[in-house]
Amino acid sequence: MKVLLVDDQTQFVSVLTRRLNMRGIDSVCAFSPDEALKIVETTRFDIAILDMKMPGLSGIELRRLLHQKDQNMKFIFLTGHGSEVDFKVGSAEASFFLPKPLNIDKLIEAINETASEKP
Amino acid sequence: MIKKRSTLSFFIPRRWSPRQEMKSYFTFRNYRRVWLILIVSLALTCLVPLSIITVTHQRIVDRAMNVERILRAERVTSNARRSVGNFLAERMDALRFIVNEVDYEKLSRNDQLENLLKNLTVGFGGISDLGVIKEDGTQVAYVGQFNLKGKNYHNEPWFKQCMASGQYISDVFKGFRGVPHIILSVKAKSPSGDFFILRATLDTAKLIQTVRSYQISDYADLFLINHDGIIQTPSTTYGDGQQKILFNVPAYSARTHAFEIRDLKGRPFVLGYAYILAGETKTPFILIDLKQNAPMGTIWDQSKIKAMRIFYVSVFVILLIVFLSSTYMINRLYMSDSIKAHTLKAAEHKSQLASIGQLAAGVAHEINNPLAVINEEAGYMMDLISMGDSPPDNAELTEHMQSILDSVERCGTITRQLLFFARQFDVKIMSFHPADIISDVLKFFKKEAEYRNITLTVDVSPRTPVIVSDKGKFQQVFVNLINNAFQAMEDSGKLDIEMSPMDPDFVCVTVRDTGCGIPDENLSKIFDPFFTTKGEHEGTGLGLSITYGLMQKLKGKIDVKSKVGTGTTFKLIFPLNIEGESKS
Repeated sequence: MKVLLVDDQTQFVSVLTRRLNMRGIDSVCAFSPDEALKIVETTRFDIAILDMKMPGLSGIELRRLLHQKDQNMKFIFLTGHGSEVDFKVGSAEASFFLPKPLNIDKLIEAINETASEKP
Repeated sequence: MIKKRSTLSFFIPRRWSPRQEMKSYFTFRNYRRVWLILIVSLALTCLVPLSIITVTHQRIVDRAMNVERILRAERVTSNARRSVGNFLAERMDALRFIVNEVDYEKLSRNDQLENLLKNLTVGFGGISDLGVIKEDGTQVAYVGQFNLKGKNYHNEPWFKQCMASGQYISDVFKGFRGVPHIILSVKAKSPSGDFFILRATLDTAKLIQTVRSYQISDYADLFLINHDGIIQTPSTTYGDGQQKILFNVPAYSARTHAFEIRDLKGRPFVLGYAYILAGETKTPFILIDLKQNAPMGTIWDQSKIKAMRIFYVSVFVILLIVFLSSTYMINRLYMSDSIKAHTLKAAEHKSQLASIGQLAAGVAHEINNPLAVINEEAGYMMDLISMGDSPPDNAELTEHMQSILDSVERCGTITRQLLFFARQFDVKIMSFHPADIISDVLKFFKKEAEYRNITLTVDVSPRTPVIVSDKGKFQQVFVNLINNAFQAMEDSGKLDIEMSPMDPDFVCVTVRDTGCGIPDENLSKIFDPFFTTKGEHEGTGLGLSITYGLMQKLKGKIDVKSKVGTGTTFKLIFPLNIEGESKS
């Protein structure tokens, strides 16, 4: 199982990636939507964990682009900004919608559940 | 609780002006002024036409009254003149009759003359003596109370005049008798061809009686004067005799005249006068009819009084109604303004809280990010300790702890900013640079701008001075305007803020967005309270009206230009010193 994490907060996303790797989840991080789109050209991911708000492209837009490239990819949204509208859209378009700061165990639970979902 | 209202409260509004802090929410600042203007203008519109009508009516009545008084004076004078003329003419005719019918021989004898005097007294009355005077002035016969036989009148003016014109009527004079009298005389020719004069003395009593008989009202004064203006028969106005009248002797006229005059004492009269003729003979007398303005009582006066009474009652009723209605209106106006003011103030407060809430949401996000980092870093260190193969390396731990400290520092900065910002909502006049405040405000919008790809540019002219103003209100104006601009703009819009000094006393700030713009028909309404184009739950419709109110409190001006599809520009003008007298 391969996981892609995309967030403009480099510190946060890089440490989180390291922690997931320590727990045996093969993770790669990207610091911007552009970088993420570049990475998926070469690597296949099962799950993408996207921040809702990023400069340039929002998580929801990025999800659409990624989904076009890989119909099987599943998504989890992260947000630091609990807006009601974002939550509704996010819940509809992704398997999970998790608020920051994250509880790592809950994230792993979410990843496992998402992975076991049927495409 | 029902308060008992005094009668006065129906006439004078209960409240004059709102409390200082509520003033800016009321339509008027001083309701006493509005009340006074209302009363004066209402009273004038009613009273001016009423007064004009009343005065015109009084004038017409006065004029009619005067015309009538003048006509009446003319009538009385004319009648009296005829009587006095006749009175004198009768006596002159009697004398003429005597000199024509009785021989000079008989006339020059005292006993004959005495008979004549008796007959004259019986027939006419008022004649006290008779005399016959020869051409040389010697009185040859005389009957009467005095012994005047032999007296020579050669040098007397009346004698000369009678010799010259054939007849003579004298002024009233006392002479040596000490009793007012008139001399009547006629000239005749004796059989010997000499001229002689028959002279009679006329008591004035009967003449006075004749004149007086026409004096029908207490306010009329009928008397005779001579051509020099000396009073001949008693006047109730000017005295009993020999005084001069206190007005100019009216010019000669063959007819009777009447007009209004004022005498030298300023008393107003209607004067009727007529020069008296005794038959064909001129007399020295002018009949004067002086009529004072009679005090109240005539039908005209009564109509005048009635009109005045109606006028006063109308004025009273009009003023009463004007006062009652004005006071009622002002009370109602004040009440509805007061409700409006309290609603506005409450709404303003609510909206202020809402904008703080909005800021808080932004700030929460700002704080959330470093918290997430702290969470991950601390979690990672725990992972290293519990899951790592070997005890963690000190250098690596230090690096992550530093990252935690950095994040805490960031949170601290943000909370300090928020605290600083929140404190500004207290009213505080202080000096500050407008650019500092705008950059403070923009900090809260930076993240959103970044996410939405909105370009923020701030162009501050280096000549922009420090201003003295209410910092919190100044700040809120920009929070509101930038908030609006962000809501109006699609992603990747542009927000420009420009700042430059204007005139010597003002600073001008423009806030330009590339948002959806405001249609012309809404442009005039955007500062109205509760005007909104957003949905029911999205906007209160108060943002811009509050901004407008804030600008007024800052003694500034706000102006808007907008084009649909292109964007909106707000132009704000602030005084350099809110406490100074602005030269506008």
